[in-house]
Amino acid sequence: MYLTVNGEPHEHRGDGTVSALLAELGTEPAHTALTVNGNLVFSKDWEIFKFSDGDTVEVLTFVGGG
Amino acid sequence: MNDELLKLGSHTFGSRLILGTGKFSDTETMIRAVEASGTELVTVALRRFNRDKPNDDLCAPLAKLSAVRLMPNTSGAINAKEAVRAAQLGRELSGSPFVKVEIHPNPHHLMPDPVETYFAAKELAADGFLVLPYIPADPVLAKKLEDVGCAAVMPLGAAIGSGGGLSTLEMIKLIIRDSNIPVIVDAGLRAPSEAACAMEMGCAAVLVNSAIAAAQDPVAMAEAFALGVQTGFEARQAGLMLQSEFAVATSPLTSFLS
Repeated sequence: MYLTVNGEPHEHRGDGTVSALLAELGTEPAHTALTVNGNLVFSKDWEIFKFSDGDTVEVLTFVGGG
Repeated sequence: MNDELLKLGSHTFGSRLILGTGKFSDTETMIRAVEASGTELVTVALRRFNRDKPNDDLCAPLAKLSAVRLMPNTSGAINAKEAVRAAQLGRELSGSPFVKVEIHPNPHHLMPDPVETYFAAKELAADGFLVLPYIPADPVLAKKLEDVGCAAVMPLGAAIGSGGGLSTLEMIKLIIRDSNIPVIVDAGLRAPSEAACAMEMGCAAVLVNSAIAAAQDPVAMAEAFALGVQTGFEARQAGLMLQSEFAVATSPLTSFLS
């Protein structure tokens, strides 16, 4: 399926779960927050959540900031 | 009640120095500065995961500092709606109730938007966050933010990253005088003496980032700021002498030889 991840086109070849996408991106799930089409997807819901073709996904983490 | 501790909501902190984690040359230096400062609360920013810079992720290195709690900021938000969403994401990721509400729509001066900050702070406080808004040094705004349930107010000393010092000193004094919540100077400080001055005035804490991160030796400067904050706090506790318009002799003025 085709997603937009952090502003870039991304072909997702997994099963559409959050864990599959994060593994594809190489990010640590415990260090990641997620929005899909502008809505926060809580980590407690990640196991049941499935992406849909065309979703816009933001994968966020903490960086240095004041 | 223990006056030695900084209180934010129901949480207490032994250190009155809050550190920002931005601008450091590398993560190791930042971690060493955090340790040297003795801080128990650091700010972090939320950004897109960058596959090309996986080391930018601060979650792992900060998680090793068990005594340090995280305060996500809402930097990048240009209005209340964006700030609220950033705060919710930050809480989801950190598990921390603290949020530094930071809304500055103009990248040239980075001055906080008082109106959007007020609405974001009100909504987030009602949602259970411990809200620490970064604000202009405005006593009216500070009081309104106290009234909507903020855990502290954080007026700027000078523009972010400018090293302009306590240019808003007189306004901060007014905020402290009227405030029933901690007043924390955030932004603009350059020297530990300014941190000491802020504490002597009655600030509950100071938040420092650039002055440490951009110092020639950030780790040594972190320690110096910790000393400055502690000195100012102890001076405040000791009670500064009253000022006099005229000289007041310290030695007896009785005749010496005649």
